[in-house]
Amino acid sequence: MSQDPNYRRPPGRSPVSPSRPPRGEAQLRGPFLLCFGSAILWLLLASVLGLIASLKLHLPSFLNSECLTFGHVVAAQKNAFIYGWACNALFAVNLWLLSQLGRFELRNGWLASLGGFIWNAALGYGVLQIFAGKMNGFSLLEMPREVGPVLMVAFLLVGFWPIVAFARRPTGHSFASQWFVVGAAFIFPIVYALTQLLVLWCPASGPVQALAHSWFIQNLMLLWLGASGLAAVYYFIPKVLGRPLHGYYLATVAFWTYFLFAGATAPSALLGSPIPVWVQSVGVVASIMMIIPIIITAINFHGTLFQRGGWAQAWNSTTLRFVAFGAVSFTLAGLLNTVFSTRGFNATVRFTEFAQGQEQLLTYAFLTMVIFGAAYFILPRLTGALWPSAKLIHLHFWTTALAVIGSVGVSLVHGYQVGHQLLNPAVTMAQVGSSSLALAGSIFALLFLIGHLAFALNAFSMIFSSSAPADSEAQSD
Amino acid sequence: MKNLNFLFAGLFLTIALPFGGLLLSSQIQLGSLSRAPAEEGGPLFPAREPGLAIQGRAVYRELGCVACHTQQVRPAGQGSDIARGWGSRPSVARDYVLQPQVLLGERRLGPDLANFGARAKSDDDIHTLLRDPHSAGYSLQKPDFAYLYVLSADGKKARPTERAVALVAYLKSLRQDYASPEAKLKQ
Repeated sequence: MSQDPNYRRPPGRSPVSPSRPPRGEAQLRGPFLLCFGSAILWLLLASVLGLIASLKLHLPSFLNSECLTFGHVVAAQKNAFIYGWACNALFAVNLWLLSQLGRFELRNGWLASLGGFIWNAALGYGVLQIFAGKMNGFSLLEMPREVGPVLMVAFLLVGFWPIVAFARRPTGHSFASQWFVVGAAFIFPIVYALTQLLVLWCPASGPVQALAHSWFIQNLMLLWLGASGLAAVYYFIPKVLGRPLHGYYLATVAFWTYFLFAGATAPSALLGSPIPVWVQSVGVVASIMMIIPIIITAINFHGTLFQRGGWAQAWNSTTLRFVAFGAVSFTLAGLLNTVFSTRGFNATVRFTEFAQGQEQLLTYAFLTMVIFGAAYFILPRLTGALWPSAKLIHLHFWTTALAVIGSVGVSLVHGYQVGHQLLNPAVTMAQVGSSSLALAGSIFALLFLIGHLAFALNAFSMIFSSSAPADSEAQSD
Repeated sequence: MKNLNFLFAGLFLTIALPFGGLLLSSQIQLGSLSRAPAEEGGPLFPAREPGLAIQGRAVYRELGCVACHTQQVRPAGQGSDIARGWGSRPSVARDYVLQPQVLLGERRLGPDLANFGARAKSDDDIHTLLRDPHSAGYSLQKPDFAYLYVLSADGKKARPTERAVALVAYLKSLRQDYASPEAKLKQ
């Protein structure tokens, strides 16, 4: 694994001068680095909190205080990871992608930077409030409700630019990555606002709150994080391999079926809960229908990688190694979600850590690995510097890949075993807990932290060493 | 897919369909539910929570207990909730109509609490469970909530704080052991 061999400018755009980055990229530099730098810091915080949470699972008295209860640590970790790492990183990557594909010049970059600053400030306040105990009981909506409107405004300032870029693109032609990013940026703020309203500001009646929350989670996971991740995969696989996607004409079907069914899968996470049974059935049907976009994206991604030594090329490219890992994980996550949304399987694994395994497969094995791959491609272009250490890149890949395979594997297998055992009412909950598997979870959490430290060290060294981007860009070319 | 208006119209539909079809229709179906008697002329259920239990609900939420405990009993055939004694009937929407924030929960590292009040023995037992769960015979993985208690001057006796008392009142108020028009009790 070496520096990305495909480090070159996008076709159709020539640099303004050989020693200076193109104007469009230079204007992106500030907002991109603000969002991505913040994202890395949030990732480190989430890794430390993840390690504490997994230690608490087998050492419950570890850091036991009212401030650091298991519930607080888990909630803060999830919020730091999703809103801090994933959202910040996607603001940056989506903006860069749409600027590249739409030849967009960001003229009011300060607005995006302001949005990024507000987002991080509000999130910091919200996470501190979680530790202070001022939290709600809904996953990923734990932060006090006053944080919600601030995040909304921040999102509109920083996350809406891809739509502007799409609307102002000079040519009529559009690419799958653009559809997915535009869809993600369009849907998330609307869903977030409606959920805030239905769950926290004007609460709906009884379990409808849980349904609204589940709708939000599915939209967040699949239509904001998932669609943004897919956009990156649709861009980087053909870009780095230098060939068109296999069966690309199917991508339109994948896009519309994905967006149509993903939002309706929410009730499948509430099978057996006190919501109308017909609503649950709609959720199951939508989850099964999700197999259509999963198969099409698999044809697009894996079909391309299987042609003409694509996997070997992917293995030798830093960017594509991460992105291909993410693409495989997306297919696995989609298949698992479809199978385990059916009533029989769901009854077995519901409320176990199987769901955590599924979520980690989507948010880490897929999305985070794709973001890492994108960072290895984009950062050298924006900073004009090379990655300082190839060893740290190796360490980053192997630790995160092993950790996520181990962590997801343990969650899925142990979750299924526990669920299966608990179907027998004679088995108590104390009998199914396994401290050795909890210990394995802590080891994987430590591996994540090591990998993220390696990435952060490499990325920040690169960013800070690029104070004179024009000179270093010329050097790297 | 060149037309931005067409793209936005399609995307809007992908939000509007599940929002209207699932959320709004559920709200229409369940939104008018209120307390009801099990039989004509009987007391209304779910019972109103005492003031102390309402304070305890806030403590439960603030401590993040929902990360490990659910409050919903699934029907027979969907897991073993009823068979293992967590409830005598499945939870129904009416059970939650008085709750300002419904804490159904998503993960069970500990038992379901929908009927904790119906199976709890005494306040002292619950305090012991919170302060020192291992001595009460609970799983070693359950954390203690010793910070909700104040030790006496000689260090031998632990006195519950107001938050601990409120939390116990809330846990005792958790019960779905009444018949409702939608779900009769299992005889």
